[in-house]
Amino acid sequence: MTLIRAIVAAFVVFILQVTVVHRMSVVGARPDLMLVLLVVFVLDRNPVMAIIIGFSLGFLQDLGNASFLGMNALAKSLIGYGIARYASGFLPENIFFKSLLILVASLVSSIIVLNIMSTFNPLTVLVSFFRHSILSAVYSALVGVVVFLILKLFPRRVVRSGGRY
Amino acid sequence: MQIISFLFEKHLDKTVLVIAVILSILMLSADDDSQINSARAISSFLLYPVDRASSYFSDMEQLKEENLRLRELAATLHHERERLTQFREERNRLRQLLGFRKDSFFEFIPCEVTARSSNIFHHSVTVDRGKGSGIKVGMAVVGYRGLVGRVVQVFGSSSRVLLLNNKSMSVSCLDKRSRVVGMLNWERGNLFRLDFIGREEDVLQGDTLITSGFGKILPKGFPVGTVFQVAEEKTELSMRVSVVCMTELNTLEELFIVVGGRDWDSEDIFNRLDIVKDPAR
Repeated sequence: MTLIRAIVAAFVVFILQVTVVHRMSVVGARPDLMLVLLVVFVLDRNPVMAIIIGFSLGFLQDLGNASFLGMNALAKSLIGYGIARYASGFLPENIFFKSLLILVASLVSSIIVLNIMSTFNPLTVLVSFFRHSILSAVYSALVGVVVFLILKLFPRRVVRSGGRY
Repeated sequence: MQIISFLFEKHLDKTVLVIAVILSILMLSADDDSQINSARAISSFLLYPVDRASSYFSDMEQLKEENLRLRELAATLHHERERLTQFREERNRLRQLLGFRKDSFFEFIPCEVTARSSNIFHHSVTVDRGKGSGIKVGMAVVGYRGLVGRVVQVFGSSSRVLLLNNKSMSVSCLDKRSRVVGMLNWERGNLFRLDFIGREEDVLQGDTLITSGFGKILPKGFPVGTVFQVAEEKTELSMRVSVVCMTELNTLEELFIVVGGRDWDSEDIFNRLDIVKDPAR
């Protein structure tokens, strides 16, 4: 994937995240499309690139919700690093496992975000986590399944291009 | 140099991660609103076209919903109107049986304000309907919410309307709830005073005043104002009733001239009013 395509994809997903996702809400849960994109981007990347991608996507997401500037940048940098460092290379070529990765990444992201939003109040974090985060993570994972199925149709051009950006 | 080499060659990934984390924390801990405002400005710049497109579609959805609601309302009102028409006919029949005059209903001619008077004590407006539209001197003029004045001069294709906020205009009003009658006079701005109200009479804050129809100049039943203060006068014989007008008289644009409800040609009072010299002229 070229750099321009990646940037375009990031902006398109960002716009979808900010404008359309709230209409896809199911029992208050919303998918985190930026997280799905992050997983798609950083799988099989080196950790440095994964951090930069994670930071950029998170920062872009923060622009859409400027109340906590830096919150998503922090969460996604850490998740990008974690995926590239510990998951890439070990993960079987299977949509199920990739979606599972999105589920875990979404839960981790929720924990970071909830801690920042509640200024590390464990009770608030716990309640919000069980009330919203789990369902949203499952939702994101399901969206991930769809995305990976679509990407499977263009394996060389998008997922496994091997190009660095 | 060794430290830099250690950080950027051996542990590049961890170094970049630490930098990203520090940057994020710095952004989070920045208490300067200008940063957040800048971020909002950037995001709104990026999202403006999408917002416009998205709001267009959401507006369409809202319009569809509103349209549906209005259709339901129109259907309900249609049935209600039919029912009320039957009541009206029944009422007219009963009035006829009792020997009352047959009641008639108002017709309205819409008109637009084309000019306003500049005199602060003599408020009047000119509207774009005149003799050609059947307008006569004395006809009541109403806005969307209630009475605003009456026609005092009629020209070929325009008329002058004397507004309620005029020192030379008094309106006989009726308390819609208690049926107490008083004379409404302008004080200042949108405020009026209801005169000749005895201290024992039942006028309360929040009551609606309607035209009484006495004197046969203005038709009965048009809302005029709302009582917002009732206080005893120093003389202790009457009450001071302050009223706020239903219609904002300084921002009139579209009005309606009441042409129905009366047989205007046979009522010579209005023809006589034609020749009465307008006190403000």
